[in-house]
Amino acid sequence: MAAVAAAMVLGTAGCTKSSSSGNSSSAGSSSSGSSSSSSGGGQQQVQTAAGGSGPACTSTKYGAPKLDLTKVTVGFSQSESTSNPFRATETKSITDEAKRLGIKLIQRNANANVSQQNTDIQDMISQGAKVLIVAPENSDGLTPALTAAKAKHIPVLTIDRTVKGTACSDFIGFIGSNFYKQAQISADDLAGGMGGKGEVAVLQGTSGNNVATDRTNGFTSQIKAKYPNIKVVASQTANFDQATGQKVMEQILQSHPKLTGVYAENDTMALGAIQAIRAAGKTPGKDIKVVAIDGTQQCVQDVANGVMVADVETNPRFGPLAFSSLQKFYGSTGTSTKVIIADHHFTKDNAKAALSNGDVY
Amino acid sequence: MTATLTSTKAEQPVGRRRWAGPVAKYAVYAGIVVLIVVNAVMSSTFLSLDNLRVQLYQAVPVLIVALGMALVIGTEGIDLSVGGVIALTSAVLPLYLGYGVWVAIALAILAGGVCGAISGSLVAFARVQPIVATLSLMIGLRGLAVIMNGATAKPINDSTLLNLGLTGWFGLPQMAYIGAGLVAVIAFVVRRTTLGRNLVAVGDNASASFLAGLPVRRILLSVYVISGMLAAVAGVLIAGHGAYADPANYGLNYELLAITAVVVGGTPLSGGQIRVIGTVAGTIFMQLVSATLIQNNVKNSYEQMIEAVIICIAVFIARESANR
Repeated sequence: MAAVAAAMVLGTAGCTKSSSSGNSSSAGSSSSGSSSSSSGGGQQQVQTAAGGSGPACTSTKYGAPKLDLTKVTVGFSQSESTSNPFRATETKSITDEAKRLGIKLIQRNANANVSQQNTDIQDMISQGAKVLIVAPENSDGLTPALTAAKAKHIPVLTIDRTVKGTACSDFIGFIGSNFYKQAQISADDLAGGMGGKGEVAVLQGTSGNNVATDRTNGFTSQIKAKYPNIKVVASQTANFDQATGQKVMEQILQSHPKLTGVYAENDTMALGAIQAIRAAGKTPGKDIKVVAIDGTQQCVQDVANGVMVADVETNPRFGPLAFSSLQKFYGSTGTSTKVIIADHHFTKDNAKAALSNGDVY
Repeated sequence: MTATLTSTKAEQPVGRRRWAGPVAKYAVYAGIVVLIVVNAVMSSTFLSLDNLRVQLYQAVPVLIVALGMALVIGTEGIDLSVGGVIALTSAVLPLYLGYGVWVAIALAILAGGVCGAISGSLVAFARVQPIVATLSLMIGLRGLAVIMNGATAKPINDSTLLNLGLTGWFGLPQMAYIGAGLVAVIAFVVRRTTLGRNLVAVGDNASASFLAGLPVRRILLSVYVISGMLAAVAGVLIAGHGAYADPANYGLNYELLAITAVVVGGTPLSGGQIRVIGTVAGTIFMQLVSATLIQNNVKNSYEQMIEAVIICIAVFIARESANR
């Protein structure tokens, strides 16, 4: 059966022809967009000059044997499908950097399933991975895998989402964005677009991970503190997913016809919301203002075109920073347990320039 | 005396409850009426054309998948591969749009038919249990779709596709007319054609049908092919409505949504019976449940629990009314 299916694909794949009317992001953008990860166009920058804000962690302190990264296998566990450009760019950045440094990398993708991710990590350990880079699916669910790694003295570096536990003991540390701050910036952007008053809906990310929690709390507290005339009338989870974002937004627009603002906690949900606004016969950017977080090509394009008010970046090019942190971890200085990266902020003033500079993934 | 006794017995087999039959038939319609009344009282905008349109956009793709599912369930089968077919559709469409939108749509529906033929052959010729045959496709097709698509999800810019998903005629979405047409076709097939009668017979008793000379294998094969093609049609509409093609997420849980609609609509999972209009009602009912909860800002975890309870009740009623 698999053979039949494969034959079918091979037979048809030779003569595919994607739409020529598609914009630049439709074909081949994944390679062109993220090639900048090595050239430095959209390279991650650490926010603080010292190279991180947490205390330093070394392999001695962690209780892990000293290793030469180029002589061992490193495992990378990706949490979600690469159909989201953020995940695609992140995976590519890690893969490219490993290749550049001559490090042997094995990797797994858990497709948003946390029990799958536990299995993935344990698989890679038994396959001989001596160091792990993990993009966690959520904050609470990876205890079995982390315990297994700890028992074998295998250090784990977490990127883009945090896990519960003690840094430099259960895991080395965290590299990623300040999600609370991102949400506050989005709140300011949206309030600006709405003239400081009106009804707002929040499309939340998958429940149970620190990104969605911080992005919800940062936004609502900022609105409450600074914009008394803006009211959050609906707040629903849409799982960081385009189709769910669209479905939920369509319903919210029916129950709140006076809505004038939407805050989506990631770009794919914003794309769904924009489509829902259009289906309701309204114009996104005019009748209803949209802001989001991620900074993917399609949404930054929407910012440039005035469909969206603004987009706060979450830089997914983790490769260089992740591997340099690991090298410091095995050196004498150690690596910071909390490395917060500086993210871009795309508004109508800089979106076009950022797109043409290749800063957008 | 004896004769009377036997006949009473025949009318009321052990475990069967008198109320169950009519309840199974009409509960879903009553549920629809209750939900509409409750919503109309709670919200002034619920009974608007805008709201109807939104509910249709979300319900029609589920309905189209559920129609195929109803046929498969009628043969005492199940088709878990429909979500995978939708994913495959969203991978095929952007690849072939360059040849023209109708070519791309035709290829997508053809691919759905091929998937149905694979699961149908497994069921009909290799005698693999339907749940196993279609489960393997459910997993495999999504993987295949993600590989075919390449790294990231793609935007869809073709105006014909977008119109299918976004515009309408006389105030109703284009896809509503497509859905209504397909309901009419499937209802006709079930009630008026040999295939319709045969597939119910196969669902009732496959070995008796075989002994009676019915082409059981061909019937099973065609049912899965139809289900695959209908799922692909739904996939085209979903992609048009989303203006996006995301094989990793499109069609997720559609097999469950479709099975729920069929079961809530009163079609027994034990086969031998198909309720086309009941399936329409089941789809509308589940859509109204979801709309009611989201529009009133109920947390999505509660929504999942409430839907689970509804499924349990529906299966319980259907079981009680099945007189076998």
